[in-house]
Amino acid sequence: MKSKAISVESLKKYYKKVKAVNGISFDVDYGDLFALLGPNGAGKSTTIRVLTTLAAPTSGNVKVAGYDVIREDKKVRQKIGLVSDRLILYDRLTVLENIVFFSKLYNLDKKTIITRAEKLLSLLHIWEWKNTVVSKLSTGMKQKVNIARALIPEPDIIFLDEPMLGLDPEATRTIRNFIAALNKDGKTIILTTHVLYEVELLANKVAIMNKGKIVAIDTPRNLRNHFKREEIVEVETDSPIGDLNFDGEILEKIDNYMKVKVEDLDYFLKELTEMNIKIKNIKTFEPSLEDIFIKITSDEKDGVKS
Amino acid sequence: MKVFMIAWKDLKTFLRSRTMVIFSIAMPIIMMLMLGYIFPQNVGKISGKVGFYSQDLLFKATIKVANVSNAIFFNSKEGLIHALAKDEIVVGAVVPKNFTADMALGKAQIDVIPNPANPQAGIMMAQMIPTMAGNSSSSKTKKVKVNLTNVDGSAFNYYDFMAPGIMALVAIMSVANGLAASITRERELGTMDGLMVTPINRGNIVVGKIVAQTVRGLIQAIIVLGISMLFFNVKILGSIWSTILLLILGIFSFIGVGIIITASVKEQETAQIMMTTITFPMMFFSGIFFPVDQMPKFAQYISYIFPLTYAADALRKVITLGVGFSYISTDVIVLLGFAIVSSLVATIGFKKLIQD
Repeated sequence: MKSKAISVESLKKYYKKVKAVNGISFDVDYGDLFALLGPNGAGKSTTIRVLTTLAAPTSGNVKVAGYDVIREDKKVRQKIGLVSDRLILYDRLTVLENIVFFSKLYNLDKKTIITRAEKLLSLLHIWEWKNTVVSKLSTGMKQKVNIARALIPEPDIIFLDEPMLGLDPEATRTIRNFIAALNKDGKTIILTTHVLYEVELLANKVAIMNKGKIVAIDTPRNLRNHFKREEIVEVETDSPIGDLNFDGEILEKIDNYMKVKVEDLDYFLKELTEMNIKIKNIKTFEPSLEDIFIKITSDEKDGVKS
Repeated sequence: MKVFMIAWKDLKTFLRSRTMVIFSIAMPIIMMLMLGYIFPQNVGKISGKVGFYSQDLLFKATIKVANVSNAIFFNSKEGLIHALAKDEIVVGAVVPKNFTADMALGKAQIDVIPNPANPQAGIMMAQMIPTMAGNSSSSKTKKVKVNLTNVDGSAFNYYDFMAPGIMALVAIMSVANGLAASITRERELGTMDGLMVTPINRGNIVVGKIVAQTVRGLIQAIIVLGISMLFFNVKILGSIWSTILLLILGIFSFIGVGIIITASVKEQETAQIMMTTITFPMMFFSGIFFPVDQMPKFAQYISYIFPLTYAADALRKVITLGVGFSYISTDVIVLLGFAIVSSLVATIGFKKLIQD
């Protein structure tokens, strides 16, 4: 049986007294697009640093591509690629010089590097800029080069730490589509981002981190279903709605229209029927990942376990 | 008003870095104390032995009869140079045949060879001889002409003393500063993560950087040497390979400082101010601009802690006296010691550097 792409057991990473990551466990299968979400300081970047062998865990077992990140760190690095919000590029070197330099550290020969670079940079629409020094490129173009740099060695697992940060919508869309295509080609991708819309579109597995812990982990669909118990419902009735007594919260109420937050939709509808209120129109809203994210992290802040 | 707001913000940012504040206060204190106390103290008298290679027996006899306590006689010029290289004498003089007789005729000449480690003594001797010989400043007739020379007979100038020291200084400081700047910059930019995430041995990253900085430092040192030779008539009397080897040894003796500073602080600005606070006193204490022997005793003791002192001394002997490694063995052993300690420190620093 093929091992997991990533296997994390009871990972802790402390910086002196700061518990950056405080006992997390999760697995990522090969071919997954796994999104790691969380507010600033949740421990996402520290987790990525441990997984990419840039930081040593305080305790716990962490395997990437089947190799231990401490004992077999070099083998781990052979299998991974990293793209972060901070560009891993040298400003005074050209696009191609950067790519050749980093790729040669993976023992690739120049011919292979150039062949792969032409293919990748063309896909990202920047091949014509290959001889331009990086400092002269726009932020979006730099990030495309940065992604190409990480992909030339053809890693099995790609870590994308906030890859769309600070990019314009066009560059964001190009990179998003590119990430989706990579995943479709079978690459395992670990994505951290603040843009939850990206996660909704791309990820097949999501972990939400807060205060160094994973507070929820599942597929985006399951997470939505799980948190669906609180639903936003818009109701239009045939007559003005009077005073109501039900388990929920009225968000808006004007004459025949009302927007409510309910825990159990069926129970709410039953209550309306019992009050002889006839429903003309009803519309429910699926909670977005953003709703779930905000709910979970605010519950944690309030000390409520979800 | 906006100007003050910006200034206040900058000052506040500066004050938040404890290391920066400490080193910014330490630097002027060290500088003032250093410049106030370490300037040459023994001006006006020659302390140490004076060596003579005299082909004039009468001159030799006269000095011996006069019982000049700090005079030593050698049987050959090589013996004299050997004594200069071993720091057994502070100045050497080559007295030609018939010197005494020529004095009476007013055409006597004497070659004074300064010790490269302390040329002041030679300069002083060159000034004292004519007076002692009875030259009158008012008369145009000089009984003795003093030639201040290098061992090959070429005219000595103070740059012969300074050039080797400046070479060592440029190479050592350039590499240590360059290394600290290069590593901290890569960490700030994030490219260090990019290097560390590749499957190479992480030691290669620092060694690669050391090699690049060493090449840069050597090129700069060679430029110093080239200018010294072209414009100031400095000659390399010893081996060029010994010169380069000594420069490399000097660089490695100090490289650990650059790495440990880089490992201790994350910001490039703080690393730079720390390096300056260390390298600036080193520049003055190591006898680059004026001889260590002329400094007060306490400053001489301080100079011993800086590898630059030994590198500059060894380079001077190789360049201006043309001696081989056997004459600079003490300097080389001390530099090797520094290089070993420095490499150990660099290893510890590097481990700290890659830990997160």
